[in-house]
Amino acid sequence: MSTTTERPAPAPTTAPAARPAKVRPRGESGPLARTLSHAALALAGLIALFPVAWILFVSLGPDKTDYLHPGQILDKLTLSNYQHVLADTDFFTWFGNAVLVSGITTVFGVMVAATTGYAVSRMKFPGHRPLMWSLLVTQMFPIAVLIVPMYTMLSELGLLDSYTGLILVYSTTTVPYCAWLLKGYFDTIPVEIDEAGRVDGLTPFGTFWRLVLPLARPGLAVAAFYSFLTYWAEVPFASTFMLSSDKYTLAVGLQTFVSEHDAQWNLMAATAVLIAIPSAAFFYLVQRHLVTGLTAGASKS
Amino acid sequence: MSVAVQGATGKGSRERDQRPGPLDRLKRSYAKHWYAYAMIAPVVLVLGVLVLYPLVEGVWLTLTDANSLNTARTIGVNKIPASYDFVGFHNYADILWGPGSYDRFWSHFVWTIAWTGICVSLHYTLGLGLALLLNKKLRGRAAYRMLLILPWAVPTFVTVFSWRLMLSDGGVVNSALSALHLPQPGWLTDPLAQKAAAILVNTWAGVPFMMISLLGGLQSIPAELYEAAEMDGATRWQQFRHVTLPGLRTVSSTVVLLGVIWTFNQFNVIFLLFGTGAPDAQLLVTWAYRLGFGQIPRDYAQSAAYGVILLSILIVFTAFYRRWLARNEQANG
Amino acid sequence: MRRGIAASALVVALAVSMAACGSSGGSGSDGKADGPVTLTYWDTSNATNEAPNYQELAKKFEAANPNIKVDFVNVPFDQAQNKLQTAMGAKGAPDVFRSEVGWTAAFAKAGFLEPLDGTPAAADTSTFQPSLIQQAKYDGKLYGVPLVTDTLGLLYNKELFAKAGITTAPKTWDELRTDAAAIKDKAGVDGFWLKAADGYYAMPFLFGEGTDTVDAAGKKITVTSPEAVKAVETYKSMFNGPGLAKADVTTDAYAHMMDAFNSGKVAAIIQGPWEITNIYKGSAFADKNNLGIAAVPGGSGGKAGAPTGGHNISVYAGADKAHKAAAEKFAAFMTSAESQAFIAQKNSTLPTRSDAFTADVKADPGIAGFQGILNSAKPRPELPEYSSLFSSLGENLGKALQGTATQDALNTVATDYAKLLPGFAK
Repeated sequence: MSTTTERPAPAPTTAPAARPAKVRPRGESGPLARTLSHAALALAGLIALFPVAWILFVSLGPDKTDYLHPGQILDKLTLSNYQHVLADTDFFTWFGNAVLVSGITTVFGVMVAATTGYAVSRMKFPGHRPLMWSLLVTQMFPIAVLIVPMYTMLSELGLLDSYTGLILVYSTTTVPYCAWLLKGYFDTIPVEIDEAGRVDGLTPFGTFWRLVLPLARPGLAVAAFYSFLTYWAEVPFASTFMLSSDKYTLAVGLQTFVSEHDAQWNLMAATAVLIAIPSAAFFYLVQRHLVTGLTAGASKS
Repeated sequence: MSVAVQGATGKGSRERDQRPGPLDRLKRSYAKHWYAYAMIAPVVLVLGVLVLYPLVEGVWLTLTDANSLNTARTIGVNKIPASYDFVGFHNYADILWGPGSYDRFWSHFVWTIAWTGICVSLHYTLGLGLALLLNKKLRGRAAYRMLLILPWAVPTFVTVFSWRLMLSDGGVVNSALSALHLPQPGWLTDPLAQKAAAILVNTWAGVPFMMISLLGGLQSIPAELYEAAEMDGATRWQQFRHVTLPGLRTVSSTVVLLGVIWTFNQFNVIFLLFGTGAPDAQLLVTWAYRLGFGQIPRDYAQSAAYGVILLSILIVFTAFYRRWLARNEQANG
Repeated sequence: MRRGIAASALVVALAVSMAACGSSGGSGSDGKADGPVTLTYWDTSNATNEAPNYQELAKKFEAANPNIKVDFVNVPFDQAQNKLQTAMGAKGAPDVFRSEVGWTAAFAKAGFLEPLDGTPAAADTSTFQPSLIQQAKYDGKLYGVPLVTDTLGLLYNKELFAKAGITTAPKTWDELRTDAAAIKDKAGVDGFWLKAADGYYAMPFLFGEGTDTVDAAGKKITVTSPEAVKAVETYKSMFNGPGLAKADVTTDAYAHMMDAFNSGKVAAIIQGPWEITNIYKGSAFADKNNLGIAAVPGGSGGKAGAPTGGHNISVYAGADKAHKAAAEKFAAFMTSAESQAFIAQKNSTLPTRSDAFTADVKADPGIAGFQGILNSAKPRPELPEYSSLFSSLGENLGKALQGTATQDALNTVATDYAKLLPGFAK
């Protein structure tokens, strides 16, 4: 179901963070401890950076076996791989497909899930617990549970190799996941707001739509970002269900460069860099929100 | 809606004399439930159609001998109907104790459990260590933070390929080891080293998430607690043991559960690092995928059966984990 | 809520309409009988070396048949079988495609292929090599037209062999092992690299002991026989010794092996003709005559044998009439003597019909070399599942190389085979 780690804690996580508490005021560490800390962080930073830097380096070598003798790359640095990928492959198509599929999945997931998140957060109704339980269990689904029946069903409906099919498959995880995440966010919005709405004579739905939803925009954004980042990088379903190269997402397209009998590692590396740049840029742009989403959903439980 | 009404009346008669304002409550809960059901309807619909139905279909397939030769196929205008048969629990029996079940299932099972345990421990300890360092007042903290979340920022389907280049026989990792006169394991070849390589890559990719979550947890521990501990003359270690760890308990329990689920279900790292090779390093989930889609003819029934077994393991684990947490909570007051 | 519903309805509508766009084209469309037809052709040849030449051929076909357009799609060979399996059973299948000889019978059995008997595609089958035609049949009907054929041979670097004072290619695995040690000693590079954990590349060892994975005629699984065990012992011995490259079981092993051979870091490999154009590009083979081609070494009895590979062109049974007719024409064109000779000269692969071996084709040293060893190629038994047998064999040979006992590994293979081949005795 999930790719490595691109999901936050869907459940409320921390103790109340009413005011960003000031941390560890005194007791600053001595110079030795500080140097050690710097050394540890620098080392960890280097390890974090290296694989990304390495693929950037390999992408500058023109031959497909350059990665086996990286020393030679320095003598023949070139951007020809990028030129080839951008001009002669379906890179932009794949990019567009990935944006399209994960974008629609995200919008659909957030929209469908919003009211449910609110209902689960505010109302105790018969069926509440089973629903929460199914939302949780769905997130545990290993891809192996659904991939076979999904495949046979999509095959019978003629939806293999179509965007719709992939979006439907992605919705199986994104909808419950967004509902769960949004429930966490709605929990942080004070109940007094709802009560004020009711005093003003609004129906529960009116309260949700006019008062709570506008306040929950950051939560919606976080759910959307996570959903987008997850499906942007989804591998198994896209690799299995998409057949024609003009419908590949980036995660599938990238694999085509390294088929067993004709592995073009140089082109793969260049494509990888071209994918990594916008992905990382987007991630860094929204990461502040993501982190708030992780730690904020909390004040109630 | 009718369910809401029934539920409400059913309860109403019993609760009438226990709580004040029963009529009022009844009315309000009726109204509430009405809206609640309307609001959850879209998700229930999606879950029912897209999750429950395929799940039932999947479970049904595990009780058959479905494979790519006997499932329904559409060949142009020609439709060949499915011709697989019901075989009862044969698939489960075959997986769990059929001939060669050790190679096919139990070896992957043991490895999956070990993989999950080792990866999550490494994620957690390294993530916590880095979070503690980042929580100090250090110059360049923001820069370190940016750098350290890079493995999370770049999708794994990109970075795993980079690792595959680095770990290959003539790759940069072994070149470095050779320059240092250290042994050079066949990271992608030798069964034991394959597992080490997989854990290495997954740890690299998974630490930032833990680090950031735990950092958030650390920052929400009130400074007063540390001040009070300092006044009591607590050492650094005692502060860590008695203030930091308890303060992180809620975050930890959640991220560890998530970490276990994700790591157990991890697909990309193994699939992209080893491709069709490395039968020993396959986790249950990638193995199930391989049975269903990585071989010809495809064994749909067994692949789905692996899926059901995997899900059962996770559900049982989660139930125990939550119970254990609840007990722990009580024990710790 | 209304706005919400409207918006989600919009999304769904959008998704559906996109799907509709997506599903047009491909095979299902109902082209008129004599109107222009667009054929989708899946090519599985090497995208850098071979595919451009096939594409050129497809262009020639378009020029000769103005009513037919060819949508030429290159699909990586290692993914093609799986994709075809998915597409032909559901949607998005090509009208005509290049099918590995081992897939043809299996696809035909599943009902995916159109029989070609009596169509233009099968017009001159008499000039084709009979065993290749036989291989393309299932249940008495022809389901593919042989496009290229190949077998495995021992490819060696003559210069490195000469450095070690060796002038003739080894005849048995034992000789090869001795030669490899000598090359390591004299030339300082590895003498032999065998692609590990790959069932197809292990077949010469079984044939060398006079056995096979299964006895198709006798309905018996023979992979656990004493001969097979002996073959696997020999197989294992080719990875462990002076001058023998250690087993590389990674997904990138193929690329590593070719890189080492092409750059002169290993003196001999077992390989087929499809790599010859690549090899000629390598630094060690700037002089084409440096490449030696010999039959695969033999086993203990001196017998040698290699599997017959190659590709057919097959037509999808789900295409409509107009597409099928066009596809049959296309198959005939691609396999014509002229086309085959063209491809042979460009790609150094072997034609499947006698009249394509023109003087020019025979002048190619790579083709001449492989033509000489074609008679050691064993035709495949008539068993649709035969090509599915390689993967379990390869995987378990990989395990055997890493410490599993030979007999245990082969027993696992036999268990897998028993599932694939109900009705076969162990």
